[in-house]
Amino acid sequence: MSHTHRAVSWTPFKRAYDAVLALALAVFLALFVGLGSSFYPNATLETLLIRSLGLAALLLLHVTLAIGPLCRLSPRFLPLLYNRRHLGVATFLVALAHGGFALFQFHALGNANPLVSVLSANPRWDSLTDFPFQPLGLGALLILLLMAATSHDFWLGVLTPAGWKRLHRLVYLAYLLIVGHVALGALQVQKSLVYPGLVACGAVTLAGLHLAARWRDRKRSGGEAPQREDFAEVCRLKAIPTGRARTARVSGHQVAVFRYDGRIAAVSNVCPHQNGPLGEGAVVDGLITCPWHGHQFQPGSGRAPAPYADCVPTFDVRLEGGRVWVRTCPNPAGSPAAVAEIERGE
Amino acid sequence: MAPAVALWIVRAAGVYLALGLLFAIPFLARGAGVLEPAARHAGLFFRLLLLPGAVLLWPWLLARWSAHRREGQP
Repeated sequence: MSHTHRAVSWTPFKRAYDAVLALALAVFLALFVGLGSSFYPNATLETLLIRSLGLAALLLLHVTLAIGPLCRLSPRFLPLLYNRRHLGVATFLVALAHGGFALFQFHALGNANPLVSVLSANPRWDSLTDFPFQPLGLGALLILLLMAATSHDFWLGVLTPAGWKRLHRLVYLAYLLIVGHVALGALQVQKSLVYPGLVACGAVTLAGLHLAARWRDRKRSGGEAPQREDFAEVCRLKAIPTGRARTARVSGHQVAVFRYDGRIAAVSNVCPHQNGPLGEGAVVDGLITCPWHGHQFQPGSGRAPAPYADCVPTFDVRLEGGRVWVRTCPNPAGSPAAVAEIERGE
Repeated sequence: MAPAVALWIVRAAGVYLALGLLFAIPFLARGAGVLEPAARHAGLFFRLLLLPGAVLLWPWLLARWSAHRREGQP
């Protein structure tokens, strides 16, 4: 967390990420409208824009939701994660444009309030094929608005990381509403199962990725480490690459054991910023660096470098016969811990 | 949904958002820095960025801000 918040903490990477995103979006919209007007000459520009923006928002939401499990399955996807919040805000803006055009084209030209019209124009709530799909889209848009509005680090501090995470899990409810909005809407317009089928493929892919990531996490963390007295054996020293970590579950705690500068230190594997997996990060300039948002901590004390004030719990470490042992009880967050020195030849 | 119910929902939402907008002005000027010290010296554009969230979450933020005042924190 920055010492003083700024509107956007730009980095060259974020600028490049956003530029690629904007370019891809512009190309997609241009292609959709261009090809759509060729294949469907009777379609109006407004209709093509509504559909292209809706499809773009749906694709962006799929990418946003896929990034988390993809990164847990392979670190190659981590760069996509570092600016995921911008992707989420972009998804909301595209969805808002889709909703705005639709509201104007279908509901703004009558006497009723356009929003009242969205909610009440179609009363067939008891019909599957004629179900009023637009209120589902409106509900999803409101959730995406709430998430985009609270995407800044400020809200992480105010809502607390756990509260922020709970709030942002509403994205799955928004996704379900959007699936219903698209599938039911497409059924009414096209009377074809192609679009509902594609939406189902997307949902199955996302569900599969999340299940695979969860299975991988369980496999990776394994069972409880074997214990002796109040220490638990975590791994062989050689299993930890220099500058990286091995993770383990010790007495119910998720622990990340780092090897750096000829030493071994252990901290909680949970970043206090957003519960990121510290053990999947690296030691950069002598500091443990979270792979999700780059928050840093001193390996021996678990403290963020000044002027930041974040801390993680630490664990005492000892080396015995080339094996790493970690105390089963954590030290309070930010407390110096016993760090093991690696002797020559180990 | 009956149009009368829909109208009631839209009007209630409008009142909620209008009250949120009223709340957001003092909150962005002072309350944000009370709840999150890192926002105390932040710039205008940053504060404007918080506006939608403040409008949407105003009852909860008002409760948090009031609790801070009751506890005697700045």
